[in-house]
Amino acid sequence: MALALQAKNLTVSARIDGALVPAVRALSFDLEPGRILGLVGESGAGKSMVGRAIAQLLPAGFSITSGALLFEGEDVAGMPPRRRRALLGRAIAFIPQAPMTSLNPVLTVGAQFDEHLARFGAASRRARRDRAVAMLTAAKLPHAAGLLGQYPHQLSGGMCQRVLIALAFSTDPRLVVADEPTTALDVTTHPPILTLIADMQRQHGTAVIFITHDLRLAAQLCDQVTVMYAGRAVESGPARAVLATPAHPYTRCLQLANPSLRAERRALYVMPEQMPSLRQLRDLVGCHFAPRCPLVTDECRRGEPPDIAVATGHRAACIRTAATAGIAAAVRDDVAVRAGEQPLLQVVGLQKIYTVGAGPFGGGRAVAAVKRASFSIAENEFVALVGESGSGKSTIAKLLVGIEQPTAGRIVFAGEDLAATRNRAQRAASVQMVFQDPQSALNPRRRVASIVTQIMEAGSRHADWDQRLARTKDLLAEVGLSADFATRLPGQLSGGQRQRINIARALCALPRLLVADEIVSGLDVSIQAQLLNLLARLRAELDFAMLFISHDLSVVRHLCSRVLVMYDGEIVEQGPVAAVFDNPQHPHTRALISSVPPDEPQAPWAALKA
Amino acid sequence: MIALLLTLIVRRLLSAVPILLIVSALLFCVLRILPVDPAAMSLPPNATIEEIEAQRRAMGLDQPLPQQYAIWLRGALHGDFGRSIALRRDAGELVAQTLPATIQLAACAMAIAAILGLGGGLLLFHLRGTVLEPLADLASIVLLSIPEFLWGLILLFVFGVLLQWLPFTGQVAPGLPLPHVTGFLLLDSLLVGRFDVFLSACRHLVLPALALGLAFSPTIMRVLRSSLFDVYLEDYIVQARLRGLSEGRILLGHAFKNASLPTLTLAGVQFGILFSGTLLVEVIYSYPGMGNLMVDAVRNADLPLIQAIGLTYCVVVLLINTAVDSLYVVLNPKLRVR
Ligand SMILES: Nc1ncnc2c1ncn2[C@@H]1O[C@H](COP(=O)(O)OP(=O)(O)OP(=O)(O)O)[C@@H](O)[C@H]1O
Ligand code: SF4
Ligand SMILES: [Mg+2]
Repeated sequence: MALALQAKNLTVSARIDGALVPAVRALSFDLEPGRILGLVGESGAGKSMVGRAIAQLLPAGFSITSGALLFEGEDVAGMPPRRRRALLGRAIAFIPQAPMTSLNPVLTVGAQFDEHLARFGAASRRARRDRAVAMLTAAKLPHAAGLLGQYPHQLSGGMCQRVLIALAFSTDPRLVVADEPTTALDVTTHPPILTLIADMQRQHGTAVIFITHDLRLAAQLCDQVTVMYAGRAVESGPARAVLATPAHPYTRCLQLANPSLRAERRALYVMPEQMPSLRQLRDLVGCHFAPRCPLVTDECRRGEPPDIAVATGHRAACIRTAATAGIAAAVRDDVAVRAGEQPLLQVVGLQKIYTVGAGPFGGGRAVAAVKRASFSIAENEFVALVGESGSGKSTIAKLLVGIEQPTAGRIVFAGEDLAATRNRAQRAASVQMVFQDPQSALNPRRRVASIVTQIMEAGSRHADWDQRLARTKDLLAEVGLSADFATRLPGQLSGGQRQRINIARALCALPRLLVADEIVSGLDVSIQAQLLNLLARLRAELDFAMLFISHDLSVVRHLCSRVLVMYDGEIVEQGPVAAVFDNPQHPHTRALISSVPPDEPQAPWAALKA
Repeated sequence: MIALLLTLIVRRLLSAVPILLIVSALLFCVLRILPVDPAAMSLPPNATIEEIEAQRRAMGLDQPLPQQYAIWLRGALHGDFGRSIALRRDAGELVAQTLPATIQLAACAMAIAAILGLGGGLLLFHLRGTVLEPLADLASIVLLSIPEFLWGLILLFVFGVLLQWLPFTGQVAPGLPLPHVTGFLLLDSLLVGRFDVFLSACRHLVLPALALGLAFSPTIMRVLRSSLFDVYLEDYIVQARLRGLSEGRILLGHAFKNASLPTLTLAGVQFGILFSGTLLVEVIYSYPGMGNLMVDAVRNADLPLIQAIGLTYCVVVLLINTAVDSLYVVLNPKLRVR
């Protein structure tokens, strides 16, 4: 049987300052009909480039410079645009990363289905409608017929993704490319969405390219995986084999950098620096992983390592694969830090009610974003707040730092009622917030030094520039950045560096409580590991408590000692991390936990129903 | 949606009340401060001082300003805007008679502006990345800087005087009757079955409507173009491409509808400005609408008439804005259905 998709030495290059720099280098794989191939790697590894190459929708300046990409034996780069358009949508379909924004907001679901099916021969309006209803029902969407008249903004993210999956499979495609289809969705929707893709794939006998940054997930879902680093396939093979016995140091490091939800708590392996950008790649000789590799030798820098078979069908591009298994993370040494006995923060019966949709004559609905939340945080204690999007996590954060005022309830900080603290500067000195999106939280026109010490501008604390520069140096050293970062602009920083600056800024006035809202989500696993270790170290050195808001339970279990589980505005469960995760009581806690794939590739993932 | 529309309209109408009060009061004060004496002007030149004083008292001009305004307001609320001094007719009636001609002109001009603006915007966007783009871009910027009266003069000179293709004075050819049913000449001529009048009226409308339309289309063009650029960064456009839709289909079936929403907001503001722009164009083409009525009223220091006309412009602009906002609600599903 012909291969569904075959990459032969595929190279996709960008033209940078006149030179061609490959974003995908000599990538080869075979995808058989009805199989799932996982492309795994961190941001910028070139995973999405492969999907875009199939549709020939590469970013400006990028092109396939050598090799070939064959769909059922036909070269997609060489085929006339007309032919490609006839294949796209019908034989080759795409499931996007951002479902909420991938449906046209001014057209109904029905209209978008109808347009799609009409292009592919379903003659009558009636037949198209029936097909749409059948597909939506198969995608487990309730009231499929009624859904056709609805607009995307009336649906949740998970529902949008179901619609897009139904749309993708509605023409019986032979190849589906799913680019991080769950990344933008709530964790509890991950298993059902993945189950749906797997079911559809099985029913329609479709070949699937599954792009993800999550090794554990790939191992559960895929038949084959290809791990990519800086544009190159560094390791490929049967999914479970790659995860069980990784041969390439990068795969191994990635695994060790990821905190586990179930295994014993250990230190996270930290790869130094980050993946080279295209620009840096241009001047890199030898193995591209060498700057970060724990096994690096002089020979590695001499030439690119060849692709070596380590077992049947399992290959790795490294000259020291035999030593990979020996890479291990250091034993965890920060467990000794104990939380204080004294409660630092006490929240009692906290409530926040928003009024939405009020008209000129009043009215409007009251929405309780937070309902009677009570908890406390001890000195030097890291407490996690977990829950789905919309459950009220960020509202609690805003109430704590005083961006919003509570409708009812008390916030007592170090024995003092914070609601009574009218002085904002005083409050800022004791409670600081680190925001979710460092990009928008940092003023793009200010230099790092001025951002980091912004709080020193305020009122009584007003400091001269020399003092601020001195403080900046200390803080930069604290968060692991060199002093010359002080004069940079936020635009000249990577995502991980921005988040470090963000943390440094919050630490400037030595607050006693840090409120961190999703500060590692959206960052790569290796960068996340750097930040988590940084936070653990800072806690031991600087002595502060933290409310750590996250949706990632593995991260929470790694970093925090206590956890609050929030659901629909209420704290439904709280307790020590070990107790809550090992013996969850509330159904929502259980749902959250089961949505994390197991560490062991052989272990069955109960949430992913066959 | 109906409820939402109603609240919007009610809210707008309620907020219009203070606006109209303030505008009318302002107009009133400004007009009274002008060094003209309506009492003297309303009498023959040979009137005696006593006669003028008597007229003053009869017109209420001897009262303090707030009181005068109160008198005027009371009248206005009952539909009485005073008498035109020069034309010796009811000012409200005069406005009511002339308004349809101006609305007709403005509506035709807006249609032209919309067609040229949307078409031009799509074309500008379509040319992106080609060698023609900078050229088209420059052209649209040059067009943007030509005001409506300049277009009026250019068109008049080229098509009226030089080529003599189209008439450029009045509403219809002289000698033709002016049927009166609704006040809108195009409609009325059809209603009474006078196709010759209809045709003549159409030919007379072409140049003034085109002058206005040309002046206002470039803004729409450029806003549509930049909205389209924004829309093309959205994920659903990428997704449409990945479904294999043709570029034409993506532009017209997916992007245009989304980009037209911000464009519509702007077009509403533009229509308000365009309506005021009729004034100069009407004067250039001797078109018997509000503009010419206003010019005559100013020339004669016809205070009641100026006041009535000024207020009418204000009301029309407020109504247009309300209509555009309602249309926005109808076209935007995010507002329409929740
Ligand atoms: N529009 C673009 N312009 C310039 N460079 C780009 C563009 N898109 C991607 N790149 C670069 O191409 C390389 C590969 O990017 P690609 O999007 O394939 O990565 P990815 O593995 O899909 O990452 P992610 O996990 O963030 O989606 C990266 O170095 C990236 O910076
Ligand atoms: S070739 Fe050398 S540097 Fe590259 S991954 Fe292997 S050991 Fe590390
Ligand atoms: Mg990607």
